[in-house]
Amino acid sequence: MEDFINIGRRVPKKDGEEKVTGRAVYIHDLSIPGMLYGKILYSPHAHARILRIDTSRAERLPGVRAVLTGYNIPSIKFGFYKDNVPLKAGKVRSCRDEVAAVAATDPEIAEEALDLIRVDYEALPAVFDPEEAMREGAPLIHEEHVGGKEKKPTNVLNLPWKLVCGDVEEGKRNSAHIAENRFKVTWVNHCCMGTSGCLAHFDHQNNLTIYSITQIPSLAQKDYTEALSAMGLQGKRVRVIKTTIGGGFGSKLDTYAFEYIAILLAHKTRRPVKIVFSRDEEFFATSPRQPAIIDISQGCTKDGRLTFRDVRMILDNGAYTSWGATTPSVMMMPISSLYKVPHVRYVAKCVYTNNTYSQAMRGYGNPQATFAIESQIDILSEMAGIDPLDFRLRNANTPGEVTPQNFKIQTCGLRECIDAVAQKLDWRQNRGRRDGRGIGMASLIHVGGGARVYKSDGCGTIIKVDDFGMVNVITGATDMGQGVDTVIAQIVAEELGVRTEDVSVIHTDTDVCPWDVGAHASRTTFVAGNSARGAARKVKELILEVAARSMGERPEDLDIRDRTVFCRNDPEKKSPLGKVLRSAHYTTAGRMMMADYFYDPSNENLDREFKGNLSVTYTYGTHGIEVEVDRETGEVKILRYIAAHDVGKAINPMLLEGQVYGGAVMGIGYALTERLILHQGKVMNPNFLDYKVLTARDVPRIEALVIETNDPAGPFGAKGIGEPGLVPTAPAIANAIYDAVGVRITELPITPEKILKALKEKELSEHRPAPVGLPEDRAARGSHHG
Amino acid sequence: MGKLTITFELNGEALSVEIESHLTLLGLLRDRLELKGTKEGCGMGECGACTVLVDGKAVNSCIFPAAEVDGKSVTTIEGLSGQDGDLHPLQRAFIEHGAVQCGFCSPGMILSAKALLDENPRPTEEEIRKAIAGNLCRCTGYLQIIEAIKAASEKL
Amino acid sequence: MKRFDYLKPRNLSEVFSILKEKPEKALIVAGGTDVMVMIHQKRISPEVLVSLRGIEGLDRIEEREGLSIGPLVTHRAIEKSERIRREYSALTDAVDVLGSIQIRNVATVAGNICTAAPSADTAPPLLALGAQVKLKSATSERTVPLENFFTGPGKTVRQPGEVLTEIALPKPLPHTGSAYWKHQRRQALDLPIIGVAVLLSLDRSRVECFDLFRQPSPISTLLHGLEKEEVVCKEVRIGLGVAAPTPMRAMKAEALLRGKKLSDELMDEVAEMAAQEAQPRDSIRGEAWYRKEMIRVLVKRMAMRSIERALDPGATAFPLRPWRH
Repeated sequence: MEDFINIGRRVPKKDGEEKVTGRAVYIHDLSIPGMLYGKILYSPHAHARILRIDTSRAERLPGVRAVLTGYNIPSIKFGFYKDNVPLKAGKVRSCRDEVAAVAATDPEIAEEALDLIRVDYEALPAVFDPEEAMREGAPLIHEEHVGGKEKKPTNVLNLPWKLVCGDVEEGKRNSAHIAENRFKVTWVNHCCMGTSGCLAHFDHQNNLTIYSITQIPSLAQKDYTEALSAMGLQGKRVRVIKTTIGGGFGSKLDTYAFEYIAILLAHKTRRPVKIVFSRDEEFFATSPRQPAIIDISQGCTKDGRLTFRDVRMILDNGAYTSWGATTPSVMMMPISSLYKVPHVRYVAKCVYTNNTYSQAMRGYGNPQATFAIESQIDILSEMAGIDPLDFRLRNANTPGEVTPQNFKIQTCGLRECIDAVAQKLDWRQNRGRRDGRGIGMASLIHVGGGARVYKSDGCGTIIKVDDFGMVNVITGATDMGQGVDTVIAQIVAEELGVRTEDVSVIHTDTDVCPWDVGAHASRTTFVAGNSARGAARKVKELILEVAARSMGERPEDLDIRDRTVFCRNDPEKKSPLGKVLRSAHYTTAGRMMMADYFYDPSNENLDREFKGNLSVTYTYGTHGIEVEVDRETGEVKILRYIAAHDVGKAINPMLLEGQVYGGAVMGIGYALTERLILHQGKVMNPNFLDYKVLTARDVPRIEALVIETNDPAGPFGAKGIGEPGLVPTAPAIANAIYDAVGVRITELPITPEKILKALKEKELSEHRPAPVGLPEDRAARGSHHG
Repeated sequence: MGKLTITFELNGEALSVEIESHLTLLGLLRDRLELKGTKEGCGMGECGACTVLVDGKAVNSCIFPAAEVDGKSVTTIEGLSGQDGDLHPLQRAFIEHGAVQCGFCSPGMILSAKALLDENPRPTEEEIRKAIAGNLCRCTGYLQIIEAIKAASEKL
Repeated sequence: MKRFDYLKPRNLSEVFSILKEKPEKALIVAGGTDVMVMIHQKRISPEVLVSLRGIEGLDRIEEREGLSIGPLVTHRAIEKSERIRREYSALTDAVDVLGSIQIRNVATVAGNICTAAPSADTAPPLLALGAQVKLKSATSERTVPLENFFTGPGKTVRQPGEVLTEIALPKPLPHTGSAYWKHQRRQALDLPIIGVAVLLSLDRSRVECFDLFRQPSPISTLLHGLEKEEVVCKEVRIGLGVAAPTPMRAMKAEALLRGKKLSDELMDEVAEMAAQEAQPRDSIRGEAWYRKEMIRVLVKRMAMRSIERALDPGATAFPLRPWRH
């Protein structure tokens, strides 16, 4: 056991004091002299032609400095599929389409101005169901969009999501049992407590500074630079400065229309322009989690070994394309690599509709796919007559395995996680009672060592040490509350031989900070941590060279620990670090104690067949849940929640628990209460009253079990943990409900109504054959192959 | 429309301000008095981010008419630390127990906790949950917040 | 937010003269939590808010024959009243789960019923407790039973020139218990999917089978025990929220039970009748079929809670699920 000073310590988050005293500055708190306030007018129609926009009355309102529409701005195409523009012209395709924008001297005037803008529309037939949108004759969302071999107009996007490993037909032939089910998951919102916003301003030479809450400062810088080019401002500089971020969870992973609008308004008015979303805008105008219709089939041999997994998905892409359309690339991960499955096939279609469009949200497709996979594992194991615990252990991934998608599993604590959860829940005793109480479990795999989704998965760090042993770490990484500022400080402190409080982490300014691909895929501890450690190693070498001279030793005989440089063979020969550093500086031919390091993990891009080792290592986990179901009302109460994760190494157990608890609670909301309700394309519950985020009275106690497999690739053995806490929650709850009352709900959220309806149908079917007219439900029906 | 003058105590200091009659307490604090510690999470009393104490009671300042603080005492997050910058035990406990992640809900959360502890110095877990039920948090899952409040109650 | 004047008259005659000047554009506010939200959402745009909070004496809870609740009494004040918890328990049940502490510190019961949402949490308990409302104008005063107070979603019989000055609750009969259940998706900050309040008065203060109430007995077992001892229901009132365009009393269901001996079969009929009388609708907050089903289930459960409280007035705290089935 290594004797760490900083690693493994429950170090409080470094910016905690600013936050608890109200001094932290969020985008809402920021203002610059001369600043204007921007507000956006949205379309009331889900699908309509814009006949005419009259902004004259708005422009005349005292205090209004600019009014923009899709007809008086340059063409800026953005988004993953480049099908989106900041202000729409020609037609609107959803109820969140931005039609006009105003900048005024105060927010009330800006809002009044919106009321004075008159837009004439001609409503068009709309489509809100992706399966309908796929059919011939469905209204076309983007008329010019063509696809398929014949290049015909279509709502189906030209995306290559298809994964084939082995031969699924052979897998079916080898199966003694096959389960086939449909699962549905819907939109949920990030509900960051701090709403979205930005503040843009240009200097006299048209260089842009934008205060932002982005999770991807380097990539956002690129997006803004492209926008400036489109505005005729080639070669101008862009500086992205992050304020304190009031929550991310993936919502800040894309560049939004409102950011481009702020930039355009700032340019038009020659003044700083701030746009901040109201809460209802945050609900209807930001991009939620990707919904999916999942048709899945899995099979196993007589003794419960998985034979194949065949998955087809239809994804409601909404009116424009953002990261939601790329979630299949991540869904492939659990489909191919959660448990050992020899034959895998996966096809996903993304379809335009007149609904809202989705982007990244914690888990990025993994929670959706895992809900289907892990619910069906229980269905399949019941068909095979095997306890789901044994079924999972029988098929569990193992260290050193190469999965069908060519993921190279390094450390893997899945077995340990499953065992730990089973033991805590007293699985053998408590399962199968069907008396209203039940237990269920579900596992997860997620990338734990970066994820090469772009050509680069890198992060740069610069470290400088001053004359007194105080360390500044300048990183490209982003802290949105998860604790990167602290974890990186701990890693650097341990490597350099100082204490965490001696290290400060700077991550807020692209003019200063090196490049990083972004805070996604739970990569920050691993990638930014390794990057910081690499820079720390280089600085340490410099320090030891200097120390060697001043102490009269060889550098390789020296080490640093707890702010002291000492001789390995003779620890009494030592010198305080500060003294050594000052001797480096205050001398002829002085040296700066600075180093930089760019770490790009040795993972691979997925190839054309979507195979490749996406991450250097993978995080595993299992959640086990005990529930109580009220048979008369359908209400579910969570009695116990055990969350076990193989995290490699817990650099900061307290912050890690924060990620697990926060993720699990978000997962419980996803499973039981949260749903963005869209009706005819309009969000019906854009507020906290009707969108049910859990309160302090709703959350169960959660036990976070930490399994440390000490992955050699991670900084001090650590893997990522930001997203895993949310991935297996919904299927674990669904499985527990099935154990409690014998009904399986295949559509999220699992509301009391759904449970009660299922209980009543079950009662009916147990007393007589199913009457005609029961809704088509493919749950728990499967074929039995002798 | 109309203006009126309110005289009240803010974080221990007497204050007299002329305001527009429709101003909310949140607007008074953030926009007029430039105290940005109190946050707006929803503007409708549904999330608690704007919680401040009026005569020791937790209220949602976003729907509290500023006119109604006349003659009363108001405590915001800025008023919690001591004169010499010492953190209140609740603030310290929040930091030490991992109860702060993005921090947006923290000012409101801490003030709800203060109102609880001022009235009930040894609350049960159930009472703590009830006291902060009106403060939404999306980052922490509440468990470390509950621990922090318990720990602070033992120190006070 | 839209602009308005904010006036704080020092007595009721000042209130009446302001209302006389601008009857259309002036709104009375107590805590203002509903009004401020509606202004924020641009659903209303009053020119003047007339606050009652400057008027002495309106925030009292007075014990006379029964209870008198002033228009400035907050939900929090009700929450803290031990006497209300023991004797008018359904009302305490309602305020215990209403909104959040921040809301309860400011919002008033009078405001809750004057806003008259079909989901108003205090309405079903007040109906079950037999509340009457006093309305005062510059020239007259009248008393309206609460079941006649609501006329539609957000609408009451209160005229623009009238102020609600008192909510009066009659003294309950001896051996009375009452209970309210807010069926909601979360434990705070929520509106009810359905709200059920029951008040039940028995013909006696003790039963031999009381031990059954202390065990996880099914409701049918409890009712069989009471039936054997021929326990009679002397009075019953059932208040329902979100079951109709206004909070309502299930009068037909009450009539089935009033004066009769308790039994499992009768209680099933009563619950079924209450579900029939209700006309809940489909909304994003709940489906009609589920609401009806919950009325059936919850009327029975709240009746049992009321009976338990009648037999044991100290039993005001309950586990979340009363009895196992």
